[in-house]
Amino acid sequence: MDTGRDEDMQPTRDPQATLSELVDALLNKGVYLDLDLVITVADIPLIGISLRAAIAGMETMLEYGMMNGWDERTRAWVRDSVARQVLLRPDEDVVAGMAGGYYWQDPSSSAATWRQGRIYLTTERLIVCRREPPEVLWQAALGAVSGLELRTEPSVGGAIRTRLLVRTDDGAAALLSAAEPARLKDLVRNRLDGTGQIAAGAPAFGSSQAGDGAEEPDTLLFKGDLWYQEIRATGPVWRGGTGRYDVQEGFTWQDPRDRRPAIRLQPDEITAAGIESAGTDEARLPAGISSILILGTAEGTIRLASARAEQWAMLLRGVSRAGRRDTGVPEVDDAES
Amino acid sequence: MTDSPGLYVYAVIPGSLPALALGTGIDDVPLKLVAAGGGPAAVVHEHRRAPYSGADDDVQRWILEHSNVVERCWEQAGTVLPMSFNVIVAPGDGMPASARLAQWLAASGPALAGRLDALRERVELRVEISLDQQLAAGDDPEVAALREEMQHRPAGVQRLLRKRLDGMERGIAERLAGRLYPQYRRRLATLSEDLAENRHAHQPPASVSVLNIALLVPRSAVTAIGGELSAIAAEEQAAQIRFLGPWPPYSFADVPELNPG
Repeated sequence: MDTGRDEDMQPTRDPQATLSELVDALLNKGVYLDLDLVITVADIPLIGISLRAAIAGMETMLEYGMMNGWDERTRAWVRDSVARQVLLRPDEDVVAGMAGGYYWQDPSSSAATWRQGRIYLTTERLIVCRREPPEVLWQAALGAVSGLELRTEPSVGGAIRTRLLVRTDDGAAALLSAAEPARLKDLVRNRLDGTGQIAAGAPAFGSSQAGDGAEEPDTLLFKGDLWYQEIRATGPVWRGGTGRYDVQEGFTWQDPRDRRPAIRLQPDEITAAGIESAGTDEARLPAGISSILILGTAEGTIRLASARAEQWAMLLRGVSRAGRRDTGVPEVDDAES
Repeated sequence: MTDSPGLYVYAVIPGSLPALALGTGIDDVPLKLVAAGGGPAAVVHEHRRAPYSGADDDVQRWILEHSNVVERCWEQAGTVLPMSFNVIVAPGDGMPASARLAQWLAASGPALAGRLDALRERVELRVEISLDQQLAAGDDPEVAALREEMQHRPAGVQRLLRKRLDGMERGIAERLAGRLYPQYRRRLATLSEDLAENRHAHQPPASVSVLNIALLVPRSAVTAIGGELSAIAAEEQAAQIRFLGPWPPYSFADVPELNPG
């Protein structure tokens, strides 16, 4: 890389400039001691309100109803934080939570209005509550829920919104708004069906995406587990993730912990797609994977591993430039210069 | 926590250190070392209260004071495993906190020592690359046309068009960010020993994040990362780059052997 050494960027350590990152690092990173062995940890529950936003990832888990996959400490934190708004009964556990609201109709007049807050699904109830000041806006015991229905209607602003209509066995019906109405319906439905274990044991890794098959676009042709060999200063490292081939997006690979796909190739950027046997040095590959998918691109060769490497190779060769013109990887042509 | 104090833990350091000037910790409390044999030692203070809790400003100050201790240990010991904020060892099982902590240090000694060794002379750098959405969309003919049109419209219409313009610019910047991410990640990865994405990143206004990542690099490689970032800044006019560090390896302190499964 030819950049003037004098102009190289220098990192800054100024605590004022780095405070938010430092707070993030000390709240979310660093070593936790093993809970069972030694410790009383109070990492999250008692910190200031806006800093709590730093744990947005946890909110996402909650939205997907993945509480079951959490350790007891995290669940205890969620219980504590919910308990500030709603009094939970002993043995009542939070299953899922998301932003939402309740369409409140004033019984004494015809006035009606949306009251926004958070929706919690617990092991016993469906609750809409408000944080400040804490107030339960609406609730129903799960045992009393007799019907769940998604409804679309224009919002005040004119956009089409999906709402969840909850019928209860006293003949009443409540209209709820939710960040993810369809998912909320499924979560409540699963609870009512007694399955309850919506994402029990699901690995934190990847399951938030995987849980949402219904939302995959029609343009997605092929998707599967794929390991990508990233080249580090210390050598190659295999990373787990998901490969997708979408007619619009092209071929992508993403580790769900990453913000964006680390591979993004349109068909005409793939110059070759072939298979190699995994060498004995591929010790860190998951067991049972014997073939490596090799993709040629203008910027170099990409190595991916999958139990379905052959299928990936066929697909990508078919759509790629190589497949259409039947040329191989372009060789670096330095002999003729 | 009643009569017998808990121990607030700042960091684990190699035990075989010459007299370490520990100094003071949060709220100027004196620090001490808890060690088990010759293995790694924990830097702690005696804590008789509940975990730290309070207004954001207080929490931020405590976190800075915590990080100052970690920094000091890091400078003197050359390697450190920073603890998260508010990790407190409580007395229990009929043992004082110091005995429980020492027991844990003894049991985890080899794993901790291995990790401390691996992190020696390594630093954490934080890199945040985002795109100024207006610059990213600057050359787009549709955006240019819309901007032009806006000039001649009444204020109310302008407001609506500005919203549309913002959406268009954001969309263009998003697509560009998607194309740039693989390349930037690959370039930084070849210079780094480990990488960790920051998922709680805040977002500068009117910009789209490309990548927000912590890098583990040997101290000697900081210049190379700076060079790569300078090159990126020169290539992409819409790029906004924040480059922080060198820090103790907060994002890489995890000891997988201690948390099986």
